Amino acid sequence: MPEKVKTKAPEKEEKEKVTPAAFLKNHATELTSYLGLVLVIILFFATNTNRLMYNLSSVIQSAAVYSVIALGAVFVYSMGFMDISIGQQVGVYVILMILCNNAIGGWPGLIVGMIAVLALALACGALNGSLGVILGLPSVVTSLFLMFFFTGVQMLLIEGTGENTIYLQDVTVRPEDRDMYSVMLVAIIIVVALVATYFFKYTKLGKYTRAIGANETTARQSGVNSIKWRMAGYMALGVCVALGSFVLLTRTGTAGKGTGSGYHMDIMICLILGGMPLKGGMKSKISAALVGSFTYTLLSSVLTTMHVDLNMINFVKAIIFLVIVLMTCRKKDGVLPR
Amino acid sequence: MSKEQIIDIKHMCKNFGPTKALRDVDVSFYRGEIRGLVGENGSGKSTITSILAGMQKATSGEMFYKGQPWNPKNMVDAQRHGISMVLQEANTIPNCTVAENIFAGRFNEFTKFGLLDMKRVNREAQQMLDSFGISHIKATDNINKYGFEDRKLVEIVRCVSDETEVFVVDETTTALSLEGRQILYKLIHKLKDNNKSVIFISHDMDEILEQCTDLTVLRDGEIKGNLTREEMDAPDAVKRIRFLMVGREIGEAYYREDYDTSHQKEVALELQNISFGPIKNFSLTLHKGEIVGFGGLSGCGMHEIGRAAFGLEKLASGKVIREGKEITTPLQAINSGIGYISKNRDTEALILQGSIGDNIVLPSLPALNHMTFINPADEKKLSNGEIDNFRIKCNNGKQWVNTLSGGNKQKVSFSKWTAKGSDVIIMDCPTRGVDIGVKQFMYKVIADMKKEGKAIILISEELAELIGMVDKLIIMKDFEVTKEFMRSPDLKETDIIEYMI
Repeated sequence: MPEKVKTKAPEKEEKEKVTPAAFLKNHATELTSYLGLVLVIILFFATNTNRLMYNLSSVIQSAAVYSVIALGAVFVYSMGFMDISIGQQVGVYVILMILCNNAIGGWPGLIVGMIAVLALALACGALNGSLGVILGLPSVVTSLFLMFFFTGVQMLLIEGTGENTIYLQDVTVRPEDRDMYSVMLVAIIIVVALVATYFFKYTKLGKYTRAIGANETTARQSGVNSIKWRMAGYMALGVCVALGSFVLLTRTGTAGKGTGSGYHMDIMICLILGGMPLKGGMKSKISAALVGSFTYTLLSSVLTTMHVDLNMINFVKAIIFLVIVLMTCRKKDGVLPR
Repeated sequence: MSKEQIIDIKHMCKNFGPTKALRDVDVSFYRGEIRGLVGENGSGKSTITSILAGMQKATSGEMFYKGQPWNPKNMVDAQRHGISMVLQEANTIPNCTVAENIFAGRFNEFTKFGLLDMKRVNREAQQMLDSFGISHIKATDNINKYGFEDRKLVEIVRCVSDETEVFVVDETTTALSLEGRQILYKLIHKLKDNNKSVIFISHDMDEILEQCTDLTVLRDGEIKGNLTREEMDAPDAVKRIRFLMVGREIGEAYYREDYDTSHQKEVALELQNISFGPIKNFSLTLHKGEIVGFGGLSGCGMHEIGRAAFGLEKLASGKVIREGKEITTPLQAINSGIGYISKNRDTEALILQGSIGDNIVLPSLPALNHMTFINPADEKKLSNGEIDNFRIKCNNGKQWVNTLSGGNKQKVSFSKWTAKGSDVIIMDCPTRGVDIGVKQFMYKVIADMKKEGKAIILISEELAELIGMVDKLIIMKDFEVTKEFMRSPDLKETDIIEYMI
């Protein structure tokens, strides 16, 4: 016993000596992400002088979709995987909800559509998570398969209607008042964020997905059923994609061939901007989804209000993306390959 | 006797966050010596040499190499200037040929007009291999074909060239087979005779005493003593070195002192006629309170038996049975109370890029789970309990495992299963790369486990450890059991070796 006391005493003494420099070094990624968010917030308020409230609600509207999906994507990214079928899934889900609404009519139709979409999203998650393990493929390949599959489905569904755009009928999914709608969306973001945080930080789901990302062999030897938890991670994303599709539907009430396209890349950029390591693992954090989604949408908004040409916006984004990746993902040590 | 100084280190300090790995170290290395560096895990041996070889930078202090200030940019730079180092961990590039590994980073020497003369690369690589006496490794083979031991030899070939002035061997011998060690010993003595300098880090006291010409002992980042060859030959040298290393008398108790091979009647784990890969019809019955040891050269099949008992191998026939149920996956094994300490600590046993706490609690999460909720306070309590129990040297449980020294890492992988409360523990080389202080501690843990009625499979490449710890020793060769020994005070290594080779 006296031994323990002896070893503990100096620890405490030394622990207080964490210098500000060391703290900065250890939290470089987080600080960069938060600084980026603060920067775009300042820019947002500085550039918006007359249409502030209107632009703010627009930002909340698009950030809501990104946040909800990105919160789910954290589970997949924390395993070091990614899902590039998200965009096409969103497209098909929105279309399906509208089609069910049109076929059955009103709220009952929409609710049937939502349930069908949720079931489909869970099935896709299970497929995405298990197929890679069973067939021994990188997980990107299975999501690539789903992406092509859903692109086809989206085309067929829309062409089957004979229209270019389809609309929700006989339901009001969005409050008339723009501010009320913003409040509703913020509430959705908060609820999803709380639920996702709970599962990510305080349950086996988050702990196991991070362990799989950090070292799948070790995780398996420590009793993690990797197929099961890979599926669970992808299914968590599925739930969020289904919910995100609904949020998108409340915003537009319509769908077409292009609905959802590009979301898989946007989500990836959001997460990286938010400080999510692409390799996943123990440094994955749920806050990356929120920080990143808002940074990304605020940035887009700022660039638009600054009258940056639409084509240029993509270039600007590309450069910012490159800078962030260079700052956060590069290896700096001169150790020989190991 | 005046020897020419080649490296002079002055006032070197190295801090990892709040941890002081080196405290104002002054040390010199000379030509024509094999200097042993010993000390417990975390005493700073590897830190000194890794700074010297350009792997990391010192926090403060100066280094002089051949009289000039020495600040290597990285390992490649250091090697180019004549300071080479072989590491403890695997350091070859997978999916490449042996020749490509040997000349990695040096292909421009073989390139003419933008074309690489691969034939010359292969030829010269093979010549180098032959000159080291390891002709059984072929330069054109894929490196993946070779086991850990052979890959280590390839690394040595890569490190040492005519330009090498200082050669650092960092706990490499634990990874080598008997033949590999002989090759390495021959090499370092040749370097010494050619007036080069060798720095030799090892936990194996016999090896240090046999091979080194000088010895430096470290403890807690400080130099505690230097011994000359004459002092190393003194009768009480081992006792003195151990005292310098640990800072206290460690006493005589090291291995188990009893010769009580009794165990409970109840069977804890049974392997029934299992066959997989080259292993045919292997059977074993392990009882509660029994320690069964496996010995042999690496590659004899003993490691595979350990994996199979944990459900990691797909069996062609036969069964692994625990408490009447068949075990086919690690998850089933863990749920039935089996734990497994992998030989490959850094790649299989631990999440290096994760905290000590995350690692310790990982197998225990299902037990901490209440209606999906896992309370962080419970996790902390469990991991801090193990950190205290095992005296893991760290600032707190949030510290990352990759910042720990080898022995402390091993303690973490050990504590995963004590935290889980496993009743059957399969240990594959549990004391690999661990210093005597920690070893003594682990042996006590193992002996206590036996007393508590736990069943243990101890697979080891160290015969002394097996003789000292196990009730029943099974010796394997070429995937077959060649002999079984029961625990006895008369059992000697020499009796056993003939059944291994």
